[in-house]
Amino acid sequence: MAAVKSLSGRQFRAILRKDIVMELRTFEMLTSMGLYTLLTMVVYFVAFASASDAAKTIQSVAGGLLWVAFVFTSMLGLNRSLVHEKDQGCIEALLLAPVDRPVIFFAKAAGNLIFLLIVEAISVPVFYFLFMQGVGFAGPFWMLPLSLVAASIGVAGVGTLLATMSVNTKGKDVLLAVMFIPVMYPLLLGAVSAASAAITGGPGATSEFWGAMGFIAGFDVIMLLAAYGLYEFIIGA
Amino acid sequence: MVRKNIATIMLAIGGVLTTAAFLMAFLWAPMTDFGFVNIGGAEIPKPDIAQKIFYFHVPVAEASFLVFFFVAMYGAIFLWKKDRVYDTKARIAAEVTFMFIILTMISGDLWTKASWDSWWIWEPRLTTYFIMTLLVVAYFVLRNSIEDEERRATYAAVFGIIAFLDAPLSFSITRWYRSIHPVVIGGSSGSWLYGPRLVTFIVAQIGMLMLGYAIYQLRMREEIAKERIEAVKAELEG
Repeated sequence: MAAVKSLSGRQFRAILRKDIVMELRTFEMLTSMGLYTLLTMVVYFVAFASASDAAKTIQSVAGGLLWVAFVFTSMLGLNRSLVHEKDQGCIEALLLAPVDRPVIFFAKAAGNLIFLLIVEAISVPVFYFLFMQGVGFAGPFWMLPLSLVAASIGVAGVGTLLATMSVNTKGKDVLLAVMFIPVMYPLLLGAVSAASAAITGGPGATSEFWGAMGFIAGFDVIMLLAAYGLYEFIIGA
Repeated sequence: MVRKNIATIMLAIGGVLTTAAFLMAFLWAPMTDFGFVNIGGAEIPKPDIAQKIFYFHVPVAEASFLVFFFVAMYGAIFLWKKDRVYDTKARIAAEVTFMFIILTMISGDLWTKASWDSWWIWEPRLTTYFIMTLLVVAYFVLRNSIEDEERRATYAAVFGIIAFLDAPLSFSITRWYRSIHPVVIGGSSGSWLYGPRLVTFIVAQIGMLMLGYAIYQLRMREEIAKERIEAVKAELEG
């Protein structure tokens, strides 16, 4: 049993390392995702240009604004990550290798999670710097990162499953959006609620935060289990 | 032979029951009240004529959830047995779900406008429903963008299961979120649903489920006939 476990662990690390090395050679995904987020913020500036007391207005919806950027940039990344596998025939090689299907799923999802977290770690300070100087984040410091990590797990997990489907269709990235956003809706509402509680603070923010975190955790568990069980069918088809 | 005719019989009974429920709703079930109006200093209950749509709206909504469950169930059976017929069953069930969803959306929207004076409110049931509509649309878009039949069936089955899991999650999170950020919603349900009203509702519900089943079976029969024609055609040409 220990041998099997360590074997899966090694396979997991090998696939994950492949994704990271490939990214480090080109920086293709991180550059496009980061740039996309930055451009979204330019659009935010335009959108809020005529708002009076923009900093306060933005603070009240900052959680939502951050997640708008993250949802779209994550779709960009998910699509890229699976398109590479398909175009370069890597997925066939992975399937030929004696690797358990769930291991492929978790390794790809972990890679996507890492890239998404890197983009988030860069864009939150940029967002703060551009829009929220003077008002700041009202909640405790650890709240926002915790909520981002928890929600990103769900995004990466379900996103990897849906992106594996969408790269094999005619629609590709458009189809990913059509499937991804409605499926993500519960997670998004929880993530925005948690992020808003962390940023706006105020009375009741802590209980709202933990309530939202409960939902995020529930979504993560249910959807990761479903994705884990269903990935085998997707990748074999 | 009997089994073949069940769908037709169900269609007839369902038609009669839903029509009867429509008449019962207006002629037999007592009117409910929606708040009070002040007439000459006296508080008089205000009759709620818009509530009559309840006897149509709720049965279709519940039928849509039930049929949506079959989309996921046949999807799971397909993944297990790999028999194409379950894929066809799931697809037809999704079509019937979509029909009920459209009916629910139209009737619900009319009711929302009449009772809450707004065409749209981001209320848990409405929001869940909207998400469910998008998921069913995505299900068909997914099907249409895959050429390979085996792959289409598998992907559709997986997406059907994911979509079905998503519906209760959407509902509970929206309700929780709305309880933190309350919106004013008039009217409560439950306390007034007894006697003739309850009977009318049950008649409408049974009729609607029968109609749903009959439409599903008739579509299924059509689909099987179509496949048989295709097979015969292929044989004649080959």
